[in-house]
Amino acid sequence: MTDILVFGELRGGKAKKITKELITAADRIAGELGGEINGLFVGEGAASAAEEFKGYGFKRIFYAEDDALKNYSTEGYAKVVSDVIKSTGARYVLAGATAMGRDLFPRVAARVDGVMFSDCVDLRVEDGRAIAKRPVYSGKVFIEITSKDERPTIVAIRPNNIPPAEPKGDGAEIVKQDSDVTIDTIRAIAKEIVPLAGGRPDLTEADIIVSGGRAMKDASNFKILEELADLLGGAVGASRAAVDSGYAPHALQVGQTGKIVNPKLYIACGISGAIQHLAGMRTSKVIVAINKDPNAPIFEKAHYGIVGDLFEVVPLLTEELKKIL
Amino acid sequence: MKIITLLKRVPDTEARILINQEGTGIREDGLKYVINPYDEYAIEEGLKVREKVGGDSKVTVVTMGPEEATELIRTALAMGADDAVHIVDPLLENAGPFTSAAVLAKVIEEEGFDIIFCGKQAIDDDMAQVQTILAEMLDIPQVNVATEFELSDDGKKAVLSRRIEGGDEKYETALPAIISCEKGLNEPRYASLPGIMKAKKKEIRKKTLADLGFETKPQGGRAEIVRWLPLPKSGECKIVEAEELQDAVKELVRLLREESKVL
Amino acid sequence: MSIEGTAILVIFVAVLTAFTLIVRHLYRVMMKGKPEDRFSRWPDRVKSVLVFVFGQARVLAQPAGIGHFIIFWGFIFITLGTLENILSMIIPAFSYSRFIGADAAGIIVLLQDVFGILVIGDIIVSLVRRFFFKPLRLESDDPKTTEEAVFILALIFVLILLMYGMRGTGILLEPNRYSRLYAPFSFYASNIISHWNINMHLANRIFTWCHHLIIFFFLLYIPFSKHIHILGAIPNVFFRNLGPMGTLSRMDFEDEDAEKFGVSKLTDFTWKQILDLYACTECGRCQAACPAYLTEKPLSPYRMIHHLRGELMSERKMILADGETPDIVPDTVTEDEIWSCTTCGACMQECPPFIEHVQKIVDMRRYLVLTESRFPQEMQPVFRNMEVNYNPWAFGYASRADWLDGLDVPLASDKKRFDVLYWVGCVGSFDSRGQKIARAMIELLKKSGVDFAVLGVEERCCGETARRMGNEYLAQMLIEGNIDTLKKYQFNRILTTCPHGLNTFKVEYPQFGYEKPVVHHTQFLLELVREGRLKVKGELGHDWTYHDSCYLGRYNSIMDEPREVLALVHGRDGKEFERNRKRSFCCGAGGGRMWMEENTGTKISEARLREFVEIGSDHLYTACPFCMTMFEDAAKVMDREDIEVEDIAEALVKVT
Repeated sequence: MTDILVFGELRGGKAKKITKELITAADRIAGELGGEINGLFVGEGAASAAEEFKGYGFKRIFYAEDDALKNYSTEGYAKVVSDVIKSTGARYVLAGATAMGRDLFPRVAARVDGVMFSDCVDLRVEDGRAIAKRPVYSGKVFIEITSKDERPTIVAIRPNNIPPAEPKGDGAEIVKQDSDVTIDTIRAIAKEIVPLAGGRPDLTEADIIVSGGRAMKDASNFKILEELADLLGGAVGASRAAVDSGYAPHALQVGQTGKIVNPKLYIACGISGAIQHLAGMRTSKVIVAINKDPNAPIFEKAHYGIVGDLFEVVPLLTEELKKIL
Repeated sequence: MKIITLLKRVPDTEARILINQEGTGIREDGLKYVINPYDEYAIEEGLKVREKVGGDSKVTVVTMGPEEATELIRTALAMGADDAVHIVDPLLENAGPFTSAAVLAKVIEEEGFDIIFCGKQAIDDDMAQVQTILAEMLDIPQVNVATEFELSDDGKKAVLSRRIEGGDEKYETALPAIISCEKGLNEPRYASLPGIMKAKKKEIRKKTLADLGFETKPQGGRAEIVRWLPLPKSGECKIVEAEELQDAVKELVRLLREESKVL
Repeated sequence: MSIEGTAILVIFVAVLTAFTLIVRHLYRVMMKGKPEDRFSRWPDRVKSVLVFVFGQARVLAQPAGIGHFIIFWGFIFITLGTLENILSMIIPAFSYSRFIGADAAGIIVLLQDVFGILVIGDIIVSLVRRFFFKPLRLESDDPKTTEEAVFILALIFVLILLMYGMRGTGILLEPNRYSRLYAPFSFYASNIISHWNINMHLANRIFTWCHHLIIFFFLLYIPFSKHIHILGAIPNVFFRNLGPMGTLSRMDFEDEDAEKFGVSKLTDFTWKQILDLYACTECGRCQAACPAYLTEKPLSPYRMIHHLRGELMSERKMILADGETPDIVPDTVTEDEIWSCTTCGACMQECPPFIEHVQKIVDMRRYLVLTESRFPQEMQPVFRNMEVNYNPWAFGYASRADWLDGLDVPLASDKKRFDVLYWVGCVGSFDSRGQKIARAMIELLKKSGVDFAVLGVEERCCGETARRMGNEYLAQMLIEGNIDTLKKYQFNRILTTCPHGLNTFKVEYPQFGYEKPVVHHTQFLLELVREGRLKVKGELGHDWTYHDSCYLGRYNSIMDEPREVLALVHGRDGKEFERNRKRSFCCGAGGGRMWMEENTGTKISEARLREFVEIGSDHLYTACPFCMTMFEDAAKVMDREDIEVEDIAEALVKVT
């Protein structure tokens, strides 16, 4: 049996984008190895999310939604997820390598006596085995890893690495998963989520990131990057040098010691390209470098480059894109 | 209060990581090793808690790693930790998260604990699993990726902030618990010279698997690395040039739409 | 003996006794400091005193110094006269002329007479200068400084008037006492006084007694005022550092039970460092030359010494009693002051009594870093990076030689024996701008067929920055690591493109048992040109200006060679900065400041670059990678990226 369970992460009552990417990955495994694909939503909005994903090729979609699961807790969610894994006998569990996925699934792995691969960027089948590809040593090399035996294998996949699935197939059977989690048995629980200011997509999830370096010269100059990012529906990032100079908050820092990002398009403005920065964004699909200095190391990593003053290029780019978007 | 901090020896963040000739791992020659950067936040937070609680609070560093990890444990002791347990056993080389968690759980149970701090992940295998599996084994809660930590006055619970996509999740946990630390939680102190001198005399208790009552490597054999892959070399950068900057920008937009299709 | 004679004898002996006790007290306080060896090279020390005390050589380096020269010599001659007068009151027959003849004694009288007038003039000029021109160097945060200065000037003024009154009335009472030739101004005074309707004898005694009592008062007041420098400056010049400028002491880390390193209390200073405090004249020349002070930073070397002396004087009894004294860090000298210093040494270059400010600051940094782990936040990654990767940035140590790819540069590890070791340094190895300089150097070395090698990945940070940031422990680790590597190879000279490395190898590595001739690339390149190994073909023919790096010019007196190379390159002499050579103005990078934020006041580098802009020269040249970085950054911030800053090697490579 190679049944697959897809964990659909909810945020603010809505399924995250990664869910559809996980479905694509699940289809790949099931396509080669056979087995059924089931889904699971836990928490606020689970029932409606299950409904929403009915037409995505799932055999069954489990959902668990009650007061004790309204706010995320590792213990509460781990209980529900482990129960479903056990009851469905899932061989593979696919989850997003998100804050929740990274927190929840090691515990699930322990409960189901399984194995987990964190932060994977790809999942495919080779010689009848599902092989996950993941970066190690901060992305300096990659490994391909697989489970040694038949125990439940959890693969946490980073957002934006696999194309999202399109709706297909018949309606799934929706199954309410009873949860015996009670609030008083949960020792650690999320109380609330304080959103970051700005309302832009999170760096780790954004398709497009516009980043500024020390050449931004001032925090207020970031508004030209914000304007471009907003036009593209992207996020704003910053290099460590810019953060250290106080031009941007640490939450926006892209790099080995900040956010590791993986967008389709990364626009580096006035970023010289220190290794620490490259470690956080070099897996971006397309990198555009805008820098005055033609010898800046960023050009060695970029796919496209413009040698010029970012304060001239970025507004021109915004203008140009406004015409076509 | 008995505070445990976990410390792992990892290659320096700037180390050049190359795959060995056999393709079975990385080349270790010429690598510089450091305390896993996130573990430094854990040590610092442990020291801060000890300073806050006072009394006979104690910070014990627990490390699993080769003999050479001793000098890094000394650094943690120089920062102010009280003592350390160092599990050294050749069987533990390339241990997976479950093995590590099982060994650490044994040590920590023997030592006793009220709170455990560790890094959010080790920057070698980047798995970020040990702390959570360990929490499950010790049957205590964990809070991962903490950027704020505040111990209640009675020392029985803590309020935290943990970094999630697009915001901060405010968390509350009962103690004992494991807290994995993220950059921004604190600024790890720089060991003073008297601290370095004192650290030379502090106790590091060395233990093998046998000392801990394990006959063989526990909980191993779950995963297999099929192959090691170097980072793909990115192609040459296409520098977009034109007489007028505006034309260069136009060309860039065209390339992004038509060639790489990202817009 | 007359009643008057007995009275003056008693008072004189009492005052001398009290004065001796005070000096002994100050000496004992000083000797509570740590030991320091300053007892070698006696002839040079005597010469120092002759040149810098009696010749007032450094005082006279500025025009205002003439005033001090006059007061100094006036004070000596007037004291001689006073002594003669006192002795003659006790022993009526006493006079200098009996011992040295009438003419020699007459000349002393003449000098007293003339210097008296000069001193009066000088005092008037000084007061006018202090109150109407307010020179920068006399700025002080302590109002007492001015009060005291005015009080003393007024006292001297009265003293000189009394001297003329004493002599004038003396001439009226005893017309043959002085020759008119030897005492023209006293005769002039007698002329004026003769018109006064007073009892001349009584007036003479009053003037004499007032004069002597003021002198006595002065003697007892000196040690507790800024005029303590009269006592401190002479020995301070005698015991001055005769070695290379700004050499830092080597710390000993053998004692594993030590709880404290560096200076946090007055008695942590050495006796010589305490003597420095006695020696300060409060002339403020250090302050007027200090790049930190001149760009609105919290540091003034003058104020630091003034405050330390104030603390010393108020704690001296406690110090003598071996009691607990307050911490001077950060109570007397704030952390902001301590971290503001670039160790450029301009203060020490200017100081007439040779006070050594920089070592004190570094000693206090040592305390903060080693004992307290308290330092600006941005320094921590620098220390970490140096510890782990042997460079101040977070570059992996294994990438130190990446810049050599494709350059075909011989490695020491391959060659083993060679003539010159080219020490590339951290900036040359990692910084893309520094790499350009290094490549130019490689090209020049190859062109001239020098038998050289580089260390490649074996090279580590030389330790200079860590040392000046106060992290002596880290510095010694780096220094010892490098010495181990250097000892593996046989070569004759170390060549550096960085004055900081140069200074460290030359002056500080010998403290750790490694001595090897070191040459700066500007010297070496000139040598190659002179020997004909490097041919200069053509000239660039531009106006050029050379900025002296502190550690090259001021610290190591390498000032002509860079200029000679540039003169060859351009076929003309350069346009100089107003502050140049030994008096050059820092770029702001020294003392680890390169890796710290400069958030207060004007950026030092910008201040210097503005001076360059005013010169109206085409090219700015440096011979130091730190200066290069600072000026290039300053040019960016000033939106003057058109200013091209180049290293001398880069200039020379264009014409060879």
